[in-house]
Amino acid sequence: MISPIHILTIGLGGAFALGFVPKKAKDAAAVIMLAAIALMGVLTGSWLIGLINGDSAQQVFTAGFKPPFSINLLMGLNEGALTTAVNFIGLLGGIYLYKYLKEAGNHAIMVFLIFIMGLNVVIMTRDIFNLFVFLEIVSIATAGLVILTETGKAVQAGFKYMLATGVISGVLLIGIIFAYYYSGTLNIDGLTQAHIGALRGGSVALLMIMVSILLELKTFPANGWGLDVYEGANAGIGAMLSAATATGMYYVLYKLLVMAGPEWNYWIALIGAVSFIGSNVLALKQRSAQRLLGYSSIGQIGLLMIILGFKDILGDNTPYVAFGILFSHYFAKAGLFWLAGIVKQSDIANWAVIRKKPYFLFLMGTFIFALIGFPPFPSFFAKWELVMELVNTGNLPWVVAILFGSMMEAVYLFRWFGYAIKGENENIEDFKIEWNKILPVGIVAIALYVTGYFTAQHTEAGAAINWIPLFFVAAIFILDFLPVFVKNTIAIIGMALYFYNIYPDLDNMRLVFEAIFMIGGILTLIAGYAYKGKRTGFYPVALLMYAGLTAIIEAQTTLQFFFGWELMTAGSYFLIIRGKRSMPHGLSYMLFSVGGAYALLIGLGMAFAGQDSLGMEIINTISYLPYWAYGLLIVGFLTKTAALGLHIWLPGAHGEAESDVSPMVSAILLKAGVFGIVLTLIGMGGESNSYPWLPYALGWLGAITAFSGNLMAVFQEDAKRLLAYSSIGQLGYIVLGMAMMTHLGWLGGFSYVVNHFLYKAVLFLTIGAVVLRVKTHNMYEMGGLIKRMPLAFIAVMIGIIALSGVPPLSGFAGKWLFYNAILEKGWYLQGAIMFFSGGIAFMYLWRLIHTVFLGQLKDNHRNVKEISIWFLIPIYLLLAGIMVYSVKPQWVLQPLGDMIAQWFPDGQLTWDGGTAFTKYGHWAGTAVAVTIIVAFLVVLALLLISTRKAHKVKQFDITYSGERPERPETTHVAYNVFEGLYKAMWIATIPLVETWWNKVTDFLHDTADIVRRIYNGNGQTYIIHIVLFIIVTYFVIIGG
Amino acid sequence: MTIAKLGYTLLGLFIVWNWGFLMGATFRKIGARLAGRYGIPFYQPWINFFKNIGVRTTITHGVMYYLGPVFRLTGGIGLFFFMPMVFTGDPNGHWTNFSFEGDLILILYFQLFGMLGMALGAGEGGHPYSAMGIARGLAQHAAVELPLTLAFLSIAIQYDTFSVYKIVEAQQGGFQNWVLFTNPFASAAIILAMLGAMGHSPFNLVKAPNEILIGPATEYEGTYLGFMQSAGSILHVMEAVLFMNLVFGGATSWAELIVKTFLIYFWSVFVGMVFPRFKIEQSITWFFKVPLVLGVLAIIVFSF
Repeated sequence: MISPIHILTIGLGGAFALGFVPKKAKDAAAVIMLAAIALMGVLTGSWLIGLINGDSAQQVFTAGFKPPFSINLLMGLNEGALTTAVNFIGLLGGIYLYKYLKEAGNHAIMVFLIFIMGLNVVIMTRDIFNLFVFLEIVSIATAGLVILTETGKAVQAGFKYMLATGVISGVLLIGIIFAYYYSGTLNIDGLTQAHIGALRGGSVALLMIMVSILLELKTFPANGWGLDVYEGANAGIGAMLSAATATGMYYVLYKLLVMAGPEWNYWIALIGAVSFIGSNVLALKQRSAQRLLGYSSIGQIGLLMIILGFKDILGDNTPYVAFGILFSHYFAKAGLFWLAGIVKQSDIANWAVIRKKPYFLFLMGTFIFALIGFPPFPSFFAKWELVMELVNTGNLPWVVAILFGSMMEAVYLFRWFGYAIKGENENIEDFKIEWNKILPVGIVAIALYVTGYFTAQHTEAGAAINWIPLFFVAAIFILDFLPVFVKNTIAIIGMALYFYNIYPDLDNMRLVFEAIFMIGGILTLIAGYAYKGKRTGFYPVALLMYAGLTAIIEAQTTLQFFFGWELMTAGSYFLIIRGKRSMPHGLSYMLFSVGGAYALLIGLGMAFAGQDSLGMEIINTISYLPYWAYGLLIVGFLTKTAALGLHIWLPGAHGEAESDVSPMVSAILLKAGVFGIVLTLIGMGGESNSYPWLPYALGWLGAITAFSGNLMAVFQEDAKRLLAYSSIGQLGYIVLGMAMMTHLGWLGGFSYVVNHFLYKAVLFLTIGAVVLRVKTHNMYEMGGLIKRMPLAFIAVMIGIIALSGVPPLSGFAGKWLFYNAILEKGWYLQGAIMFFSGGIAFMYLWRLIHTVFLGQLKDNHRNVKEISIWFLIPIYLLLAGIMVYSVKPQWVLQPLGDMIAQWFPDGQLTWDGGTAFTKYGHWAGTAVAVTIIVAFLVVLALLLISTRKAHKVKQFDITYSGERPERPETTHVAYNVFEGLYKAMWIATIPLVETWWNKVTDFLHDTADIVRRIYNGNGQTYIIHIVLFIIVTYFVIIGG
Repeated sequence: MTIAKLGYTLLGLFIVWNWGFLMGATFRKIGARLAGRYGIPFYQPWINFFKNIGVRTTITHGVMYYLGPVFRLTGGIGLFFFMPMVFTGDPNGHWTNFSFEGDLILILYFQLFGMLGMALGAGEGGHPYSAMGIARGLAQHAAVELPLTLAFLSIAIQYDTFSVYKIVEAQQGGFQNWVLFTNPFASAAIILAMLGAMGHSPFNLVKAPNEILIGPATEYEGTYLGFMQSAGSILHVMEAVLFMNLVFGGATSWAELIVKTFLIYFWSVFVGMVFPRFKIEQSITWFFKVPLVLGVLAIIVFSF
């Protein structure tokens, strides 16, 4: 193995050689630089491979002496990995900056090489003075690279950088001098053995050393200079700072923390937490892309500092967690900085231009999801491990702090991404692609997926993850250039085969949900045939959602469950944001989802506490703060079912989504939340649970949600929003049913699960298809469409009858079961609210069918066609389902009852033929249906006999207000049709929840806006920040 | 189910249909006398009915329009089928109709069947008055439902059953056993909310004579109207029978049924003759005050 000292040889030799290259041979110079970095990379890479395969670490003693008389370098596993990482990103960065450096001249090329070499040494060195020297080399090189960009901002930033690092170096140097004075050594291991912190006076020396390293890491809030550099420097340099320098400096902190001793762990974690939360909150108001990335980088380093602070608690897992987060950050941040350099838009709103080249959007998405910690990226697994361990060791407040910071990061990153996907981009000039710039971005993106896959394999639970659905998604992504017809067929066949393969392995409860997800998925995909062209991007994300959905059903471990949950969230986010006006709704959906996911994460962490496995069964035996754990799980799942308070994302998200997406996210996706609630309630112990207040609160929440959702639906003018609010209400019923924790309550709940899937899919598909024809969502702009779309009308009619619960259709089963369940449980008031909600539902259902299909046909719709056959097929298949359920309810209710009996054996329905009995009442579904159908046919026959000569009249053959109307607009009663009700009940429609969330976001944004004023751009102020930071840390850590 | 049972049920239906007409005529007569007019002869509804179904020509606005009256009448007939009429001590007695097919909940929800079909049919007619009437009707219906549901739940708690037959059975043995006396809050809530369910003034804004013609049915004439009148007649009686069964001890004979339904019906007419029509928002808020409080009290009393 070549000695690591030769990294210096290569670096210095390369730089020296560059001096001989003629000024005009710029390409030669740049190639020499790349070759030198590549060589360093090969050297460190070969070390890394060797060390992984069991070679022992090597110490390099310079000048032939051992410390403390000479400088020594260490090449261990950590050093091998990190130097390789630095060289790898250095090489990619060099390629990215190829033209830039070439034009800047040989000196700049030299500086870049020295910069990378310096970082290698910073990582390897075991001598603190040597560390100081190479830090200086790196700093000066950085400043040089920053100033290379001849813009005002860059020059100023470079100057401020010099100022700040100068002060920091001074402090570091004084610290080193003191340390040497008190301990007599400069060697890190020597200082460690000497317990420098415990020596008299040594603690101050240590403080100075540690604080200066913290400052070098640009710890919040003494980091204004750093932010200016991130913003002002060339994006390629920014990438190096964020990926390479931060990686190196982080490792320095790790080394010195060992030296500082365990008493420093807490402080590092605390400062990390402040930095993580502070930067991410301040970033909320940020509009400049590169500065935003700067904030995010500083935040991520803060998170990594927390991990370091907990290294004794994380134990052997520390490298796994730290590397998982570090590498996600390293790849993703480099990728984003580079993208920023390609897109060349400072304002995040202008990033809409990126989707003019869709694959760039994909790259950006990859990086952002990796930063937030979505699967399948390494950060997902690392964050999971981190939270599991921290909760397990009772560090809940830290977990909350970490997740709060992550949440803030999600806010601004997804806002930015939202602009990229949906922002206005017509007037923004397209960007050019240069091969040397896109290559590194592509490589880091691929690297993220690959490292993610391998990170998963590292743990037992991760290795058990089923990747087949994801590979299928990837395949569809690659085939995205194909036309809709082909992709749709592949997708349907894929899902059908998958369902066929896994359904025998599922228990009945999971089968119910899997059938809704998969069969529902296939049915809604059929509607996709109605679309023409390529429908770029639709199939990968739709399948991603279904991959997530099936993953949560199949999950054997909580990790797999969470993995699936996050995949589903990602997929559904992309599906939702595809809608024309979906940008704000996509964001709010994502934020509630991320918040909910974090609640789940903590809950699952608490479930893991004290257990030695991650099996799904651990949620049945939570012993650590079980009330909180189950509460958090429920809250997490309620974000998906859009319970009141967590619902504000839903109306816009479902209402603005595409026609075939709305049924996917409404009829199908919401059931994922229900599935989670069912699992949690089973986990709590079913009937004999010892947490009575949770289901009780849940029951009230369900009832109030049902009321609010339904009431809001009544006042909508937009047909799809009406259905969206209706879903909120319907899910409220389901939540109430499940919360009752009785056999009948669950049977009612499950009856609604099945029914809501059927009729909401019918209604959303039909209304969506109508919208495609009439090109408006506003019901008052429609009317009389029964004449043009009779089949759509029939579908909606059956759908609303089923929803309203009017016998003989299937909805009545749910109502009847609920009445019985309510009586048995004694939740009369909740029940009354729910039944009242049913009465309210009747209003919006009538409004929906009347204002769209009945009343007066508009002139511009006189030639509109029946809805697409591709929508009619799934709609009528679903209607067939409703009909079967209606006429033979026992076919559905009996198996559901048997299934539920395993958790709730008491109070089952008793069946006598087709009649169901509870102890309160009875209902013969089939007989009722037959009675009504026979009566209907008899009456119809009578009418037919007596009106044989009915004369068909035209639309305006009525008299109204003394005239024969001629304009449909003046005759169609549709707009604000429930004005009277509004006058009576307006008080219940005040959007308190929305106001509350707005206030919360305003508060955070205002705070960010006020606090970030400390960064006034003045170098002297930044120096004051640094000095204050030192003073404050001194008083806090050493004590006054 | 025997043929005899079917025969008795259809006979009962015929009685109810006629009784509905007669009650309707009686109260139009009362109204006329109060207004200082002589009023119609008692057989006027039959004349109207036969005249209407006898007309030779008729129009249609479309299939749904055509089906509206079918839904409406089926709703009335179905409601009759599911309601036990006369209590004889035998749960499968002749006059219990098809109440073995379902309980109170079926009756409550099946009421909406005719309402919905009618709303859809009238909607296709395209007349604004129809839509206005329906919108008002639905809003008022929801408001009425709240106290009614509470009261029904209270009665169900009281007797531990949703079976209308069993509720009637439990009230036998003297008027002191009637829900009216054993559950006064629920009864009071029902008696007040019932006014809304019956749809007479002050809660008659669905049809709102002189304002929106006759509301939902505005575009219907001839045979359709005949069917609707029949449906209206049956539904009126059935509403009264429902309240009779739930609050006033049911009926052990047709005579008792006729007296009780007459009085129940008379109550709503009596109020209607005295009070003028509410606007929709007034009507809704009215149900949210006293009747709602009574309903909640009825629940509270039986919850503990």
